[in-house]
Amino acid sequence: MRDDDIVNFDEIARELQKPVRVDRSFNERVMDSVLRLPRHARARLWKRLTTPRTVTITPLGWGLAAASLLLFASLGVIHAKEDLHRAAQPIAKALFATPAAAPQRVQFVLVAPDAKKVAVVGDFNGWDASHVAYQAQQRGGGVWSVTAPVPVGHHRYSFVVDDSLWVADPTAPRVIDTDYGLPNSAIVVEDNK
Amino acid sequence: MSVGVRTLVALTLVARVASAQDPRLAQRLDKPTYVAVNAIVDSARVVNLPTAPLVDKALEGAAKGSDGQKIVAAVHLLSVRMAASRRALGSNATGDEIKAAATALGAGMSTRDLARLRTATGKRSVAMPLAVAIDLIGRDVPVATATSLLIQLERSGVKDSDLALFQRNVRADIDHGADPTVAATTRARGLVARAGPAAPKPSE
Repeated sequence: MRDDDIVNFDEIARELQKPVRVDRSFNERVMDSVLRLPRHARARLWKRLTTPRTVTITPLGWGLAAASLLLFASLGVIHAKEDLHRAAQPIAKALFATPAAAPQRVQFVLVAPDAKKVAVVGDFNGWDASHVAYQAQQRGGGVWSVTAPVPVGHHRYSFVVDDSLWVADPTAPRVIDTDYGLPNSAIVVEDNK
Repeated sequence: MSVGVRTLVALTLVARVASAQDPRLAQRLDKPTYVAVNAIVDSARVVNLPTAPLVDKALEGAAKGSDGQKIVAAVHLLSVRMAASRRALGSNATGDEIKAAATALGAGMSTRDLARLRTATGKRSVAMPLAVAIDLIGRDVPVATATSLLIQLERSGVKDSDLALFQRNVRADIDHGADPTVAATTRARGLVARAGPAAPKPSE
């Protein structure tokens, strides 16, 4: 580097270190320029939304707008009602269902002189031949009977003789039920209240 | 649907599914049969069909020593018949009515017969008339005759207790050698006559 270059640099440095004199209107002029610059889109939208304006609408336009609003509101209400109804059904059923009628005592009778054991099985006891409440007792003369609770409603049932022989109740309506190839009877128990 | 309502629905469904598993099925059915039966029961629950008759049907099969395939087929057939019964009887049909109607379809009645009987019974239950109709059919009374008799008895306003007596009397007549159709028609005519003069007479 040459000596005259160093001198120039010193002069430039000195010049730059001198305090800058700014006139009083400088700040105002800068801010004015900034405000005149193109604005951000969001700011423009906000300004449009917040600036009061006058809108003119024809009676027909006003009617259409009102009808559309009413239609949307109705559809919304219907959908909300359906959703709520659907959601509330199981809850309402659980909360407000009428209590099930108490089981009624029903007498089952079978004449089976040679039987050693007679039980009643059906929809009301899960078809369980070992259910204690449905074991018939011998009453003499080959007559077996048991009086047991049966829920109100329609049930299919059968007698099981000696744990192996399935016998439909000869005094009750038959059920034509070929699914498992063994006979059943039907009983409709009513609420006696 | 709002988040609150969605949560409520989800919780209700979970509670329903959890409460619906019948432990007796797991105890009495082998694993593949249990899975298949449970699937049918779950499907029925989704469409709001009563599930207890399906469980009972499976338990009946297990008690009678039927194999798994037979049990699944019987449970499936019952679910199909219950769906058809509900369509025929209307959405207000009770579980008992649907169950009885499904048995009636198995006995040979048609969904049209069910709908006619529903109309005749009005707001009363069709369970007892169906039980009696099924019994008559089982005693060789033709399906059309049995259905027609029960419809006429219901139109006459005959009570369920009288229907039970009617069934017992017809059975006794048949046991004594009477022709099933003649016995049923004669007994029905007597019951209708007792019910009131306005009631139509059952035809022979």
